[in-house]
Amino acid sequence: MKRILLLAFVLAVIGVSAFALTRSSSPPISANVISLKTNDSIAGYTRAINRREWKFPNDHGPHLDFQTEWWYFVGNLDASDGRHFGYELTFFRRAITPTTACGDCGVNARDSEWATNQIYFAHFAISDVKANDHFSTERFSRGAAGLAGGSGNPFRVWVENWNVAQITSAALQSPDSLFELRADDTGHAIHLTLNATKPPTLHGDNGLHQKSEQLGNASYYVSLTRIASTGEVTVNGQTFTVTGLTWMDHEFSTAVLGADDVGWQWFAIQLSDQREIMFYQIRRKDGSIESLASGTLVERDGTTRRITKDDVQLQVLDHWKSSYSSATYPSRWTMSIPSANITLTITPFMSDQEMRVSIIYWEGAALMSGTSNGAPVTGVGYVELTGYATPFVQ
Amino acid sequence: MNLTLLKTGVRDALRRPWLTLLLVLSVALGVGVVVAIDLANDSAARAFNLSTEAVVGKATHQIIGGPRGVDESVYRTLRVQYGYRLSAPIVDGYVGARELNNQTLHVLGVDLFAEAPFRSYLAPQSNANASLDSFAQFFTTRGAALISADSAARFGLKVGDPLTLRVDTREHQAIIVGLLQAPNDVSSRALEGLLLTDIASAQELFDMQGHLSRIDLIATPEIAQQISAQLPDGLSLVPASEQANTVTQLTAAFQLNLTAFSLLALMVGMFLIYNTVMFNVVQRRYVLGIMRCLGVTGGQIFALILLEAAVLGTIGAILGIGVGIVLGRFTVQLVTQTINDLYFSLSVRSVEVQAPTLVKGMLLGIVAALIAAAIPASEAANVPAVTALQRSDLEDRVRRGLPSLTRIGVLLFIIGAYLIVFVQSTVIASFVGLFVGLFGIVFCVPLLTVWFMRVGARALAPLGLLGRMAARTVTGALSRTSIAIAALMIAVSVTIGVTVMIASFRSTVSNWLDQTLIADIYIAPPQTSASRTLTMDASLPERARQVAGVSSVEVYRNVTVASPDFGPVRLSAVTSSRTRSSRVYRYASGTADEVWRQVENGALIITEPFANRHHIQIPNPIFQLPTNQPANLPTVTLLTDHGAQTFRIAAVSYDYSSDQGSLLMTLDVYRRFWNDPDISSMAVYVAPNANVNQVEDAVRAALSGSIVNVQSNKALRETALVIFDRTFAITAALRVIAVVVAFIGVLSALMALQLERTRELGTLRAAGMTLPQLWRLTLLETGLMGATAGLLSIPTGLLMSLVLIYVINLRSFGWTIFFQPVPEVYVEALLVSICAALLAAIYPMQRLAHMEVAVALRSE
Repeated sequence: MKRILLLAFVLAVIGVSAFALTRSSSPPISANVISLKTNDSIAGYTRAINRREWKFPNDHGPHLDFQTEWWYFVGNLDASDGRHFGYELTFFRRAITPTTACGDCGVNARDSEWATNQIYFAHFAISDVKANDHFSTERFSRGAAGLAGGSGNPFRVWVENWNVAQITSAALQSPDSLFELRADDTGHAIHLTLNATKPPTLHGDNGLHQKSEQLGNASYYVSLTRIASTGEVTVNGQTFTVTGLTWMDHEFSTAVLGADDVGWQWFAIQLSDQREIMFYQIRRKDGSIESLASGTLVERDGTTRRITKDDVQLQVLDHWKSSYSSATYPSRWTMSIPSANITLTITPFMSDQEMRVSIIYWEGAALMSGTSNGAPVTGVGYVELTGYATPFVQ
Repeated sequence: MNLTLLKTGVRDALRRPWLTLLLVLSVALGVGVVVAIDLANDSAARAFNLSTEAVVGKATHQIIGGPRGVDESVYRTLRVQYGYRLSAPIVDGYVGARELNNQTLHVLGVDLFAEAPFRSYLAPQSNANASLDSFAQFFTTRGAALISADSAARFGLKVGDPLTLRVDTREHQAIIVGLLQAPNDVSSRALEGLLLTDIASAQELFDMQGHLSRIDLIATPEIAQQISAQLPDGLSLVPASEQANTVTQLTAAFQLNLTAFSLLALMVGMFLIYNTVMFNVVQRRYVLGIMRCLGVTGGQIFALILLEAAVLGTIGAILGIGVGIVLGRFTVQLVTQTINDLYFSLSVRSVEVQAPTLVKGMLLGIVAALIAAAIPASEAANVPAVTALQRSDLEDRVRRGLPSLTRIGVLLFIIGAYLIVFVQSTVIASFVGLFVGLFGIVFCVPLLTVWFMRVGARALAPLGLLGRMAARTVTGALSRTSIAIAALMIAVSVTIGVTVMIASFRSTVSNWLDQTLIADIYIAPPQTSASRTLTMDASLPERARQVAGVSSVEVYRNVTVASPDFGPVRLSAVTSSRTRSSRVYRYASGTADEVWRQVENGALIITEPFANRHHIQIPNPIFQLPTNQPANLPTVTLLTDHGAQTFRIAAVSYDYSSDQGSLLMTLDVYRRFWNDPDISSMAVYVAPNANVNQVEDAVRAALSGSIVNVQSNKALRETALVIFDRTFAITAALRVIAVVVAFIGVLSALMALQLERTRELGTLRAAGMTLPQLWRLTLLETGLMGATAGLLSIPTGLLMSLVLIYVINLRSFGWTIFFQPVPEVYVEALLVSICAALLAAIYPMQRLAHMEVAVALRSE
């Protein structure tokens, strides 16, 4: 009897101690937000259907009645010692509910200036070619309370302290217009003064850029194709004085992709003979290309010419597989545009310029060489490849 | 220790199931009470910590401001100008939710995009189940809210259901747009009572456009210092842990007092254990003596008895833990209620049984059993083999030891008194002093019992032989009777002490309410949380003023402001120009009129608990030198919206509304330093010729549409006392448990006594004593013991109440309580003691009635 009691005693002590030990570390507090109602409908948003009357400088600012809008700044920069950098600073605007005609009205009237249906996010990347290092990061913010937003006159688009803003009073498209670009994150930073040397280029049909057959699957698309850039780039805490060229895309739309589309390839090319090319093609699930693939050729004097799928022969020469996303991306091309008398080889400065942010895509600086109008030509530019890691759903 | 010895122990325990049971029960009850209180304190603390963790997250620092919070431009500057991203804006507050049975919810208004580093569970970009678009409703719908999935299930709510949230005087509509599903129990409890909204909805709900409640930061000390240096006036940067600590410190004194009371219950339990083990030893003296003769060493016997006590103590402790967990359900409710009434909003859904509490309970039970058994065990081990066979030897030695026992008692009493009177640094010393002093009195009980029995024998002399016999029997079995008397005495004196303390406290509060509630009608928004700043529609005072029969309206603003020296402090600002009675001041630097003039010129009145909490020496007018020099009170520095400002103290007032203390200034002065036009509550004075009830109804009608409590002076007074009574409900419950423990103690002691006297009583029966005579003898004996305990408990209880009132309460909470004698308590105590003693005699007497004389005689 006593031995049983002793045994019970010992067991009790062991049990209590074991209990104490297992309970000593409590898990971190966590929770999943469930049962949210998602509205997939695009009803209520304006769509890109008709030719547009452009009114600059206001049209450089946001168009809140469209669901999606972005301002892309990409460029190639060289330090005085020849070290080459690519950079991307992109601002996205996304409306999560349609903006009604009367703004804040009715039952939805809000008193807080934090209230908004506009979400801004931004991607920032620097390609350090010498170090073979591609840094990419992103930020999110509400488009309210002064934390993020955009305006056309004066031009400004910002997400917190990442920002591109006009610094002279001259309108953005004039040659005197200077604006400033700034972003930084953990030892990486960019600070440039930008000067657009050509007027805005309207793509497609006076800026209405049809992406696929269906009515409304289009965007309004305007670019500044040649922006002289000077300033500083900081990588891993080391700062370089740089000069180079920036390309700016501004595009707004509501649902551009068709049901069978998975992503796109986009090329922005700035040639040494002062010509620029934008070419864009949408890839479908079956690997084919949307018939409406198109682009724009900008001549030295700023005149533009539409180029279509049939004008361009694009051939992939190489592929690169990302160990991060397991996606395989095309990574070297030949592009020839016989009607413009252009033949180019397009080679990324680095294979790995994958954007490791919420949406994984490849966006990188590339080097061009070939002939233009019969003369040898070189060039720099940017290539964007989406929908390779995951289908690109808007 | 050999097996044979162990077997004798086991067999002995089984042969006396009642005694064994009693010992186990004593441990179980004592441990049960300690565990129950510990569980309540622990569950409350854990619930608080979890909800703090859920709300504070990984923030290391917070930027906080004055009553209106932090201007949101500070956050914008931090983010857009400095790019400091480890920052998150918070707008929070408390609401009553009608659909959740009016439960108080903590509304946390956040900017989801800033949340990832802080409350990672909230960030949409890291939340796999939710894309940006799915948060559309959360961002864009006014009042869109997330609540925990558990809460929703409990109240039968689902996504899309409306919520009616009451904020101060208004109701707001909200809607559930999603649920927070916790993957584990800890998270589930942390999210309990939380309502999550977008920061915009929170600003609209609390009418805080342009302001934030605080800005959370994750920062190294260096960065924190840099940010701090840049902050505009009126804002301060504090470590996040400090905020939570300040809140937990509020309840520290309250919880310490509960723990001390639970230990008192265990102390009574120890008497029981001592008593039963002692009886057990005495019963087995014969066997133990034989063992000694057979060569068993004293050490072995000592070990045997201790081992028995340890095993039975363990069983008792395990049982006690069970009892504690059951009792814990009630204590948790009581403790939570008090915390909600007096300190801050806290929702404790369940008793959480934590290992440390169980281990503590277990160890306390075993250690108490061992300590209580040590004296009887050494007793058994040390008597020489031959005399061990004689029971009278023990009583002889007790009687011979009386003087030294009493000397020890007096010494302990003096040590206790010293600790109570002279060690003022910590209230724990006062409690230790109280315990030591009580032990001292216990050691004196045997001698006092002998004296009482001498008096008793004389008093009972008219009853003849039986009377004298009864008194002599009590003295004769002093080793046991004195312990039973001591146990009962302690339990009853705890009752007296606590009752007198509560009664004195209640009458003090009641008098204070009479002096401070001088307006006729009080109007305030219903309280959702004791810690929240209430805000009332600013148009209401004017509306009240228009009512016929209203002579004047006073307006109050109650807020929490920051002080660099004292942390967050409560501040009341009043418009009153009425002179207050000088009796509300514990110390005043002049007449009541002079004090008020100083206050109008920018001085403060601090409350007594504030002085106590912050160790501000209050000048004692009795010991003041007759130089007529104003006393040297320190100044109070507060962080105002116009920078740090120093205020003089004009007076220290009595205040029983909270133990945190508060400051009082005029509303004019307040608004000079803080940009805060809001008001919290108001008081209405009725014209002398008007009927108060009619005016009250008219005021209520004039204010209809706003959710306010309109209470007459009398009703408010009653409400205050209801909360007071609720606060002491747990103390009252402990008092009952102490009596139950004492009752069991007396029962066991008397049973033991009677069982032991079987032969003696058999002899008496054989000698011709009738059964009714035996009944009378037993009742006389127990009655004498009860009376002794009752008489001794009166001075002891009185002393205890004095210590509780003038030392422990004052040091714990800073309240001056005016002693009330409460005479009926002493009569009650005497009656309870005697009744308990008489009742405890019933079981042994029934046994006696069935006793066969021959068997009884043969039993030895």
